[in-house]
Amino acid sequence: MDAAGTLKLIIESKLENISLIGSAVRGIAGMLSMDAISGYQLELCVVEAVTNVTKHAYHGESGHSVEVDILLYPDRLTFKIYDRGDTMDLSRIEPLAFDPSKVESLPERGMGVFILKTLMDEISYETVNGQNILTMIKYLKTGEGLSSPTVLIRN
Amino acid sequence: MQLQQRHTGSVLVVKPLEKRIDASTAMDLKQKMNEWIDAGNRRIVLNLSQVDFIDSSGLGAIISGLKKIGNDGDLVICMVKETVMSLFRLTRMDRVFDIFTSEEAALAALSQKG
Repeated sequence: MDAAGTLKLIIESKLENISLIGSAVRGIAGMLSMDAISGYQLELCVVEAVTNVTKHAYHGESGHSVEVDILLYPDRLTFKIYDRGDTMDLSRIEPLAFDPSKVESLPERGMGVFILKTLMDEISYETVNGQNILTMIKYLKTGEGLSSPTVLIRN
Repeated sequence: MQLQQRHTGSVLVVKPLEKRIDASTAMDLKQKMNEWIDAGNRRIVLNLSQVDFIDSSGLGAIISGLKKIGNDGDLVICMVKETVMSLFRLTRMDRVFDIFTSEEAALAALSQKG
């Protein structure tokens, strides 16, 4: 099935640029009539993914490109995040395990991928010719979606 | 990061004035939290009424403050927006932090612990 619309966002790998992507995602969530929490969580997932690329794939170095493609289908949103930094092994991320009553056991990092895996419906990661591609899919709920797909830039 | 801070008795009340606490501001918040705690503040209220967005880096900074205080005081949170609250629930941090609907309730709870 072809996407009804595709949006391509490209930022330089700087932490302060990530909110630009986040704001765009929140805007799309609003356009799709998502409720506030669903919109926040969608933004959160994309922000976490782009932050991971900036911090870990590019080790916090600026000057690299991070590309986010947002593909809108009638039943789902697909996000593709592209980078040419170090490949990550998402399967090695530990589940979020801690004892809420033991302060010393609380995690301070490593929560980003847990958030993605919990909130997104599908996640895959591949490296093709040196380019890493994280694909995240979120299925739309009843009542969510575009009333007019032409408002997005058509490929 | 723009912050408003004041003391009410022995309690430090901190209100971030930014809409976002994310990877670009989390280190700043963590550093400020360290400074407050190193300066002897052991009972802190974090008022999140102005904050629309927190990611895992921002949450990590808040957690680091709680860990630094340890069992020698408390860091409580108040006025969390429902969207941000969903992150606390997702990560089970709603079971870690005492979270209050008003600053007065947070202050009252901390005062009782004093």
